[in-house]
Amino acid sequence: MKILTTVKKVVDVELNIHVENGAIVEKGLQYVINAWDENAVEAAVQLKEANKAETTLVSLGSGDNTDIIRKCYAMGIDNAIHIDDPALAKADSPTFAKVLQKVYEAGDYDLVIAGKQAQDTDAGQAGIMLGEFLGIPCVSNVIEIKVTDDTHIQVSRLGDAGTEIVDVTLPAVITVSDSINEPRLPAMRGIMMAKKKKITVMDLAGLGTSVEEIGGTAPTSGIVEFMPTQKRKGGQKFEGDPAEITAQVVQLLVNEAKVL
Amino acid sequence: MTNILVVADIKQGDLKGSTAELLSKARALGAATAAVAVGSNVADLAPQLAAAGSDTQYIADDPSLEIFSAAPFAAAVVEAAKAFSADMVWFGFSETGKAAAPRVAVQLEAACATEIIDVTMDGDDQHIVRPAIANKVLQKVKINVPKLVAVVRAGAFEADPEVTGTENVVTLDPPEKDMAAVVKELISDASGEIDLADADIVVSVGRGAKDQAGVDLVKDLADDLAAGFGSSRAMVDAGLMAHNKQVGQTGKIVAPSLYVAVGISGAIQHLAGMNGAKVILAVNKDPEAPIFNVADFGIVGDLFDVVPLLKEEIKKIRA
Repeated sequence: MKILTTVKKVVDVELNIHVENGAIVEKGLQYVINAWDENAVEAAVQLKEANKAETTLVSLGSGDNTDIIRKCYAMGIDNAIHIDDPALAKADSPTFAKVLQKVYEAGDYDLVIAGKQAQDTDAGQAGIMLGEFLGIPCVSNVIEIKVTDDTHIQVSRLGDAGTEIVDVTLPAVITVSDSINEPRLPAMRGIMMAKKKKITVMDLAGLGTSVEEIGGTAPTSGIVEFMPTQKRKGGQKFEGDPAEITAQVVQLLVNEAKVL
Repeated sequence: MTNILVVADIKQGDLKGSTAELLSKARALGAATAAVAVGSNVADLAPQLAAAGSDTQYIADDPSLEIFSAAPFAAAVVEAAKAFSADMVWFGFSETGKAAAPRVAVQLEAACATEIIDVTMDGDDQHIVRPAIANKVLQKVKINVPKLVAVVRAGAFEADPEVTGTENVVTLDPPEKDMAAVVKELISDASGEIDLADADIVVSVGRGAKDQAGVDLVKDLADDLAAGFGSSRAMVDAGLMAHNKQVGQTGKIVAPSLYVAVGISGAIQHLAGMNGAKVILAVNKDPEAPIFNVADFGIVGDLFDVVPLLKEEIKKIRA
């Protein structure tokens, strides 16, 4: 089985993000592997360990993604391709999905595993659109993958009414929830090996496509400005005798906030 | 005129509150409105969909739609959108919406926007506003194509009780089953519990509750308040709470009148899921816990002391 996993380098959401004049202030930002993509990588490596799969990772972006790719190598990924093109700096979800389509078509993959969303956009569209563009099944928000045979997998998906058990014919696209696994911390041996591994880097032309073809020149939507979120402020904090402060707070919820 | 199609949000046969909220907003924008219901035994919902503010009701009712499957669900929505010449298709915030919207957008050659909190139309200019980066910023996004498919974030719009529509039912042919992704079984989490997405009060439990006894204690408080019962990621990872109870960036987004965070420190990913609550009450023994930076009311104390006291006080005011 040949597995393709997708990774994106995103802003670290743990840090403070400031907005000035409609744009995010770049200073002080740090970039990390998207958390859900780490779950996707872990899922791919687990399938490889249990079923002799070959795992390839594709990272999209504009700039150097060597650090996050090395991390995925250390986790157990076999091959890595980095699509590095300035046209991808402001790409929207369908554009990313079109690039992934080109990568998929250049290989001979049975299964694509992507994170269910990227933590910088929280859009959750690219993986599903990839399945749609390729005309192959896609199951999103997956919390378990079991290999049935060479051409079938069974996945569990967290839906609105409960857990859906889905029999999927390969090739297919799966997007994973963070509930699917706990990504491993790479061992020292893996980290050392990862340093020696080759990363295939190419731009859109190298992939045999162009900005026009992937829709990059006519995106369906575009961000015109960023705005700060209305920050909630901490209100009244009560310390002291538990019985006294609890009674006081309940009175405030009834009489002041009027929510009880 | 703009035509807005709202996808009915149906759970266990009942219409969820988000459907009326979206229809009210669509009418407030001056749009022509329709609703589409996709499922098994959903035809009976047509009068409710009309009362909620739609003037046409597209119904795809078939036993094969009993359990959600993304491809046929999306196909039925696309058929309704085409029949209605919809300029916009809106989904309420749900896993159904998140799974179907990108498919519908590709098939309609529309733009797709998830978790939107506002839509503005100024002539041909359409913009949406949505939070991003774990709710730390808002994006204003311009829609460059004529059509938009959107998933609306929980609590973004309010239902107008004055709004009503007219009944005009259009029956759709059942969509084809997806033979490449066959839904075999649904392990239902229907347990008569109050749905987090619809609850007026949500009580969530975090790591501070330690074990099953702690979870049970907080659950009792939720039951006393007739509240939805949610969880932080940590309690799900510990196996003490079910996946579908997780409130946060990747779990449920809730916007209740009152959110009670018990023993939850307040990780960014959790805050992103409950930021829209009108009032937040936090109980935590660590006075420095980040949850207190967003809570309107904070009780610094051990939840094992405070929760029984809360139950007692609530009993008093409810008596």
